[in-house]
Amino acid sequence: MAGLLSRERIIAKPGFNRWLVPPAALAIHLSIGMAYGFSVFWLPLSRAIGITEPVPCPDSMGFFETLTATGCDWKISTLGWMYTLFFVFLGSSAAVFGRWLEHAGPRKAGVVAAFCWAGGFLISALGVHLHQIWLLWLGSGVIGGCGLGLGYISPVSTLIKWFPDRRGMATGMAIMGFGGGAMIGAPLADILMKHFATPASVGVQETFLTMGAIYFVAMLAGAFGYRIPSADWKPAGWTPAVQKSAMITSRHVHVDQAWRTPQFWLLWAVLCLNVSAGIGVIGMASPMIQEVFGGELIDLPGVALRELTQSQKAQLATIGAAFAALLSVFNIAGRISWASLSDYLGRKRTYAVFFALGTVLYALAPWAGRLGSVALFVALFCVILTMYGGGFATIPAYLADIFGTQFVGAIHGRLLTAWSAAGILGPVLVNYLREYQIDRGVPAAQAYNFTMYVLAALLVVGFLCNLAIRPVAGRWFMSDAEVERERASLRRVIA
Amino acid sequence: MAENDGATTPVSGSWVLVALAWLGVGLPLLWGVWTTLQKAVVLFR
Repeated sequence: MAGLLSRERIIAKPGFNRWLVPPAALAIHLSIGMAYGFSVFWLPLSRAIGITEPVPCPDSMGFFETLTATGCDWKISTLGWMYTLFFVFLGSSAAVFGRWLEHAGPRKAGVVAAFCWAGGFLISALGVHLHQIWLLWLGSGVIGGCGLGLGYISPVSTLIKWFPDRRGMATGMAIMGFGGGAMIGAPLADILMKHFATPASVGVQETFLTMGAIYFVAMLAGAFGYRIPSADWKPAGWTPAVQKSAMITSRHVHVDQAWRTPQFWLLWAVLCLNVSAGIGVIGMASPMIQEVFGGELIDLPGVALRELTQSQKAQLATIGAAFAALLSVFNIAGRISWASLSDYLGRKRTYAVFFALGTVLYALAPWAGRLGSVALFVALFCVILTMYGGGFATIPAYLADIFGTQFVGAIHGRLLTAWSAAGILGPVLVNYLREYQIDRGVPAAQAYNFTMYVLAALLVVGFLCNLAIRPVAGRWFMSDAEVERERASLRRVIA
Repeated sequence: MAENDGATTPVSGSWVLVALAWLGVGLPLLWGVWTTLQKAVVLFR
């Protein structure tokens, strides 16, 4: 088995078609991207015992007792911890195992990711069966989260080596899959839960087992589709530009040195700030549009959300969900389009556009709200979300440009801790600023205005960080002898 | 097939495999986007 997964087995033979690698990467990213869609399970799981209605735990029951209680239902806030665990363990495992991945190769990493992600579903199914929430946290949150991290970074280095001429587009194609995974997984889970539901079960346990099996097969197919190019391979007809941009190095920084450079931390801040702003909006998209426009959304201009009847509020909730769905489409469209465009614009200019345009659009959002223009408001956030997705998809190519390709997968893994940080910072900022405004007596329709200005200010800081990124100083690069030693150690791994 | 500078041209039959591989990931993705857009259409009514 070890031989089957080794780097030696996946060095492409002459004539291999490099366009087979992006779909392999997509198979893995589309599978792990379901992490974004897990909220589809919250409502059914919140009535796993009561089936039709949740059975609340008694108020006298302590936190630890609720973790093992089998006679009452879980709260949605308790289930929601799985999201936090996903992104904390995604960032941590990518940071910790990135270096291992460079040596073990993408196939082994992809297979381990498949075992972790699908295994997480199996453990979660057991957790539902035994009604033990800690098993869901451990299974999907911790073990599945490690699968997310490994699966996410597994194709990055490989794709950059296969597409030296189109680094942005290549990684954009894979990372687009992570954004699209929930679009497939969430409706599929909905169909499966309806299929498996009985008067005695909400159908989640069987859905977890089925989806675990589907993802295991898809991820193994992806992992076994990975090939790495031989050291001297380059695309037919392509010659590296003689006079390259100063922002694209042909040398390599070691992963253990990269994090000591100011460039690493500036890029960390760039990713963290870009993601914080976007992730905060994604989490609040549905309530935000409902609170900002209220009755305007259903042809009742001037009527605030709290003044509407229950059925009118239900109509607004549907529109809120539609807004969130539309944003997710623009999120994935931005991943492939901005990352591909960065191959022509350059990475630094692309991020400069994200931050400059993003600042203007966030600052305009309150104005669109005051104007009562739903179309303009929606359009502004659709563009913002393309840049949120674009930020994720363009960062691996930016890293390869700045630090070289030898350790780009491992360096990318360490940089993803910025995502974990943003996953906490963004929602906290948006939620608390909104509550702070409402506590000060600001009407709900205007409660997001200050938040938008704060997010715009975050992007100004991001713009300055991006502006400060310069080529890495010569002393940080590996010498030719060190690069050769590293490659020789890889060859020893192969042998 | 290999050229003297390390560059290679994909074998012609490989494009069929490429098309199949892209169909394998593209069809579920298109289904997901279509399902999502159907949900989003409420916004434009």
